[in-house]
Amino acid sequence: MDRTATSSARFLDPKVLTRIGNLELLARTVVDGFLNGVHKAPYLGLSMDFAQHRPYVPGDDIRHLDWRLFARTDRYYIKQYEAETNTDLVALVDVSDSMDWTSDDERPTKLDYARFLTASLLHLSRRQRDRVGCVTFDHDTIERIPASARGLDRSLMALERSEPRGPGNLRNAMYEVSAGLQKRGIVLLVSDLYEDVEDVVAAIRHLTSRKQDVMVFHLLDPGERELPAGDAVSFEDAETGEQVPVIPTKLRDGYAEVIDDHVEALRRAMVRERVDFVPVDTSTPLDHALFAYLSLRSRSTRRR
Amino acid sequence: MGLAFLVPLALLGAAAIIVPIVVHLTRRRKSKVLRFPSVRFIEKVPYRAESRRRIHHWFLLSLRALAILLIVAAFARPFVDRTAEATVAGTGPTERVVLLDHSWSMALGDRWSEAQQAARDAVSELGPLDRASVVVFARGADAIARSTSEPIRLRQAIDTARVSDEGTAYGPGLKLAQTILEESELPARELVVVSDFQAEGWTGEEGVTLPAGTDIRTVVVGEGGIDNAAVADVALNRARVEGRERVTPAARIVRTGGDEPREVEVVLSLDGQPVQTRTVTLPAEGADGVVFDPVTIGSDQTQGSVSMTTDELPQDDVLRFVLSPGRAEFVRLLVPPGAPDAAFYVERALRITEAGEFDVVASTGAVPTGDALDETDVLLLVDRPLGSAELDRVRGWVDAGGGLVVIAGERGGWGTGGETLFPGALGGIEDRDGRGERLASVEYEHPVFEVFRGPRQGDFSSARFYRARTYDVQASDSVAILARFDDGSPALVERRTGDGRVLVWASTLDATWTDLALQPVFLPFVHELARYASGATDAFEFFTAGQIVDVTDARAMESAGLGAIAEAISASEERIVLAPSGTSSELTDGESSHFLELSEAGFYEIRPPGRDDLRPVSVAVNVDRGESDLTPLDPEELVASLRSATDVAPAGDSERAAVLRRADQERRQSWWRWLLLGAFGILIIETVLSNRLSRRTGRSGHARTAN
Repeated sequence: MDRTATSSARFLDPKVLTRIGNLELLARTVVDGFLNGVHKAPYLGLSMDFAQHRPYVPGDDIRHLDWRLFARTDRYYIKQYEAETNTDLVALVDVSDSMDWTSDDERPTKLDYARFLTASLLHLSRRQRDRVGCVTFDHDTIERIPASARGLDRSLMALERSEPRGPGNLRNAMYEVSAGLQKRGIVLLVSDLYEDVEDVVAAIRHLTSRKQDVMVFHLLDPGERELPAGDAVSFEDAETGEQVPVIPTKLRDGYAEVIDDHVEALRRAMVRERVDFVPVDTSTPLDHALFAYLSLRSRSTRRR
Repeated sequence: MGLAFLVPLALLGAAAIIVPIVVHLTRRRKSKVLRFPSVRFIEKVPYRAESRRRIHHWFLLSLRALAILLIVAAFARPFVDRTAEATVAGTGPTERVVLLDHSWSMALGDRWSEAQQAARDAVSELGPLDRASVVVFARGADAIARSTSEPIRLRQAIDTARVSDEGTAYGPGLKLAQTILEESELPARELVVVSDFQAEGWTGEEGVTLPAGTDIRTVVVGEGGIDNAAVADVALNRARVEGRERVTPAARIVRTGGDEPREVEVVLSLDGQPVQTRTVTLPAEGADGVVFDPVTIGSDQTQGSVSMTTDELPQDDVLRFVLSPGRAEFVRLLVPPGAPDAAFYVERALRITEAGEFDVVASTGAVPTGDALDETDVLLLVDRPLGSAELDRVRGWVDAGGGLVVIAGERGGWGTGGETLFPGALGGIEDRDGRGERLASVEYEHPVFEVFRGPRQGDFSSARFYRARTYDVQASDSVAILARFDDGSPALVERRTGDGRVLVWASTLDATWTDLALQPVFLPFVHELARYASGATDAFEFFTAGQIVDVTDARAMESAGLGAIAEAISASEERIVLAPSGTSSELTDGESSHFLELSEAGFYEIRPPGRDDLRPVSVAVNVDRGESDLTPLDPEELVASLRSATDVAPAGDSERAAVLRRADQERRQSWWRWLLLGAFGILIIETVLSNRLSRRTGRSGHARTAN
């Protein structure tokens, strides 16, 4: 990754991210760029504890000066912090066939976007000394990387080799996943949630019942929010192969209404379940999702 | 009269009309398939595929249904059945053949226009179920319209027919008519003969028997004789005067009809220029001869003609011919060195000719070699043995077409190996006792003796043979004994080998062993012997219209004076033939184009393509002189001979006839073509309309299936 790309990574378009082959490099690039841009934010240091003092050298941020020690010793000391290491973060990534889709060939598929997002979140979390893990699933658990201090690399590898291979079933998958979550932690669910709202809620409850802080990232391609205009076409379900002949032009308005209702229903249900719900458009940069994540971390830290 | 179908079962295909409707209502429109993550929300959108359950474009659907109906109707083969009308009128399906005489005598007066009108009348009488053919005949016959029910085609064929230059022969035309009538499936048959009915073209042995029940009708045109004079023949007598060849043309003028003597002018023309004119007075129903002054023929292929004052029938008032200087046969006499006079009588006989037919050289030397031998037409060995080395040379020369005559004598004979060339083996000398022997058996059919065939044409029996060589003849198909002595021993034997021939005379041709040389038959016999040995034949001065010459038959062409053409064709060289009418054609060695058909009277010219510098080979063609004789034939005689002994109409198979009638009516009306054409047009309109509707629907975003 060149310097220019690194410095502007915060605003990297998902189309640009698709050109970065290495998931770890991508995650580091995204997170570094993101943190550089938000280092003045109040979230900084939330998950860190004081570690030691060291003498001030010119160039250090004066906000880190320990004024009380200066009052006692009349010397400038900088406070140094140590990250917490007591939180488990597990990312649950939906790799069902419906995720392998994009409406624009230059844009990443939902699955690719989920990989980028998950890798970035895991990387960010790891920098905050969390133990990280990852689970890929469709209608069943495909690969499980338990949360650990060295779980980042294994999780990234699992993400890289994940391939869509069948239809999804969130409820069944979450039931299996929840059985492996013994310790309280944070669960990030990344999925397009092509399920009935009731099924999604039931699936989430498998996680919340295990005392997990759950955050749902609902990925949708712009093409799923708005059908293309045009002549008669048969839509083929990516998971079932079922074909539905329609005239998109005639269907657009009704469809947009239905999908909006679905998203709204999900949001309300998640609120009721006290679960963070983050709708993510795959055409937008990852910042929004990362902010949402840090917000969750902040709340969970405060709760602790 | 009513609408009927030849194949009514095909109407079941009309059920196919529901196909476009069913297809429209049931088929899924073939559209682009777009992969989508999930169709669960698409299916939740209220949407009814009404467009496929409703017919929007009734007009298009009607067009498609109509096209299907037209196609089905075409396959059912509809027609208007007029069988009842035809039956009531008593005009069942009839196969009619109109035999139209177009020999050159039909050009006389209004005969041809009358004949054409009679033929038109015959075909205009056709009923709705009848078929007719028009056959023109002269020396040959040609069906210019064959078994058709289309009056226009028949009339066109009659209108385009022309009088030919050929004579009349009823046989070929009647044979062709017989074939057409026999091939016909129609129950009734009829023959109409339109002719001037010249007796000349009827032999009574044509061997034509028409199918039983055939109705024969004759239409006689141009009845009554006319006063006609014709140049019947021209003789071209050649003579050699002071080393130059001169030809004396003599013509015979024949007059048929007339009451009073008539004076006519007869003109001899050479290369298109009149050179001599004679006036003769022809008696009624009489003839006269005209002898012109001798003319010298300077160059090859001189076109000549003898013409006379034209009359009503001008075709026979001129007789064309082609003249070329005669060519003397080169006869080489070889005599033994010790007896130079052995060939005295033979040499003298060969030198005595009117037109210098033989160029004679006598020598005591050896058989020549190379060109000297090749230039020799006849090699005559008089009492001279043939050595082995000479034998080989002579064998090759004979195979190439040379003529060898061996006069045995005392010394005559040949060395070993001669059995493959000669017709046998010469034996010893045998003396005949008493008054000698005579020639007892002569093959007068053979060309050598043919001139002596008639009575008082030569008497060989008066010649005596006192001595002869015995001769052991080979038994072979190529060997023939042409004359024998009293005791049955061979006198003259021939063997054909290759393109040449070998003749062996077992005695001598002088006054020692026989007195034949002193007999009147001696000179013509020696001439015929040498002429036959040379293979020379009389040239054709003219042909008769209708003759066909096979240009690849070298021998026939040679005898017709067209040897050069045969050589060129055999060497795969093309020749262009220019007919008297100006049309040109090619002569090649190919299967179809190696016949020269001389159908027109006049001069045919044959030349290499693109070569105008050479004098063309000319072929004179005259109309058949027999056609000048307008003596009529009683048509009843012809009709009677054509009827078969069992001339009873066959029992009618009414069912078969009815089927034929229906099929014939349908074929003639041929509605199915128009129906298919209409269906095709409707489908084109439907395609254009549906394309426009599809484009309009696409532009407005309302993609619905058309129908």
